[in-house]
Amino acid sequence: MTNATMQPIATMTRAILIPNEDVPIEILAKYHADKILHPAIKLKKRPLPLFMGKVSAGFPSPADDYIEKTLDLNELLVQKPAATFFARAQGNSMTGAGIFPNDILVVDRSIEPVSGKVVICAVDGELTVKRLIMEAGQWKLRAENTDYPDIMIYEEIDMVIWGVVTNVIHSL
Amino acid sequence: MKTQTCFALVDCNNFYVSCERVFRPDLRDKPVGVLSNNDGCFVARSSEVKQLGIKMGTPLFKVQNVVDTHGITVFSSNYALYADMSSRVMSTLESFAPRMEVYSIDEAFLDFSGMREDLVSYSQSIRKTVQRSTGIPVSVGIAPTKTLAKLANYAAKKWKKTQGVVDLSDPVRRHKLMQLTPVGEIWGIGSRTQQKLNALGIHTAYDLAIQSPQAIQKQFNITVSKTVMELNGVSCIELEPMSPDKQQIVCSRSFGQPLTSVADISAALSEYCTRAAEKLRGQHSKVHCISVFVRTNPFSRCDKQYGRSATFKLDVATQDTRVIVMTANTLLNHIYKAGYRYQKCGVQLSHLVPVSTPEQMLLLDSQRAVLPKENPTLMAAIDKINRTFPKSITLGSALSKGAWQPKANQLSSHYTTNWNELMVVK
Repeated sequence: MTNATMQPIATMTRAILIPNEDVPIEILAKYHADKILHPAIKLKKRPLPLFMGKVSAGFPSPADDYIEKTLDLNELLVQKPAATFFARAQGNSMTGAGIFPNDILVVDRSIEPVSGKVVICAVDGELTVKRLIMEAGQWKLRAENTDYPDIMIYEEIDMVIWGVVTNVIHSL
Repeated sequence: MKTQTCFALVDCNNFYVSCERVFRPDLRDKPVGVLSNNDGCFVARSSEVKQLGIKMGTPLFKVQNVVDTHGITVFSSNYALYADMSSRVMSTLESFAPRMEVYSIDEAFLDFSGMREDLVSYSQSIRKTVQRSTGIPVSVGIAPTKTLAKLANYAAKKWKKTQGVVDLSDPVRRHKLMQLTPVGEIWGIGSRTQQKLNALGIHTAYDLAIQSPQAIQKQFNITVSKTVMELNGVSCIELEPMSPDKQQIVCSRSFGQPLTSVADISAALSEYCTRAAEKLRGQHSKVHCISVFVRTNPFSRCDKQYGRSATFKLDVATQDTRVIVMTANTLLNHIYKAGYRYQKCGVQLSHLVPVSTPEQMLLLDSQRAVLPKENPTLMAAIDKINRTFPKSITLGSALSKGAWQPKANQLSSHYTTNWNELMVVK
């Protein structure tokens, strides 16, 4: 083997298009029919899967190869869909944590409620959002607003943690 | 040799009540009931309500005084909420077994065959996970057959000591429990079969288990004989993990009050057709056969009775709401008779085929001459809008709101399916 054959190949390559109008089309496409991204491609009403943008003859977009799925906020905000709920915030007790009246809270029930997490809990049956704090051997619910005192969690208090707040959706 | 089968039946405790309580922690230890459509009868009861002696199916009006004295919180059925919570429970369960069969809105069979874990503690962790992720308490019954798993679950619910999990793998334990269980509690034994069995001196599940399957098959049928085998630990009823698309879609309801005019019934029918068409498109099917029925209230002694149904077979399958509504209303006009007080109507879509099934062009043209042209894009757009703003787009024929709408005076919020009805935290 000579040194020359070990050189990296420097030839330019280019994807070419093979028109093939009679490719059988997967039923899969029906799920994505409303998401087909390239209106210039005539589909002859046949459903087309998202990843098969090169089937039809015509003028394909040079960007076709770069099509990826659009960003989905669920991916960013929801780790466990089955355990994720939304709640509406009311009042000013958590403004210091960036939670304002009418904000939407993303709540994941599956997350362990440890000290420092913002949690939704039911105190005497009433739902409230506060920061859960363990301080000097004492569990407390702390508001992020100095106007509101800490709620001490003593044995006799009826308190159930509902879920951990992971994100806040705040309209401007 | 086949490996020993093992099934777990996971069943949500008082499912509808539990769903309501997730979002109303103040009702945790309080008596709570959920009513059937039209706020008629109790269809779910918390343990507190059961203790007050209110039975499943009791009409609200008969126990209104008990409800008032004991401060029972009563809800109308919030199906949007229950369906959403159900899918959360089911998708949480999915990760616990290689195969699962969703048996009903609140029950699923898991295939535990060949699992080496300590099944009781494994099931306890299932209970904990579902409770924590969704807020719904469940019970688990474990056994070598589906019928016994059902029985195990019944026991797990009935006896608090079990902490919500009963394993009937041990035949001795099985026999003990079966001797305590009325035969009518067994899965698949209906009230008629039960009466017949009782007449033969078979009263408990154990009495049935010791019968010969052959003799039972002669006296009853293959289903009951399979039950006998299953009670003996021989698995005859397999798991059905695939939930095949529904082969028919039915949408029917009782009216809020009896209706007499065809226009009112038509409005209700159009609404049901719209729902049915949405479901149809949701499972990517189209429909060939559309049936409609109407009937009076069979329990009313003072009303003249009438009931009739009619079916139309479309040459070309459709998934277009307009085609379905038009066809259904034509059928309604055929079967409607003036002079009766109607209590219920409904539409049934059957002979469903996948959307991709090709049509014969010749027929297509003949049908298109009388019915609206299929417009999948329009339907997809409507479905999309209605998902975001429920029921915001509907056909004109369904618009006449009125007496046909069922009563739902105690409806809770659509906490999980409507942005405007989220639970509020302070």
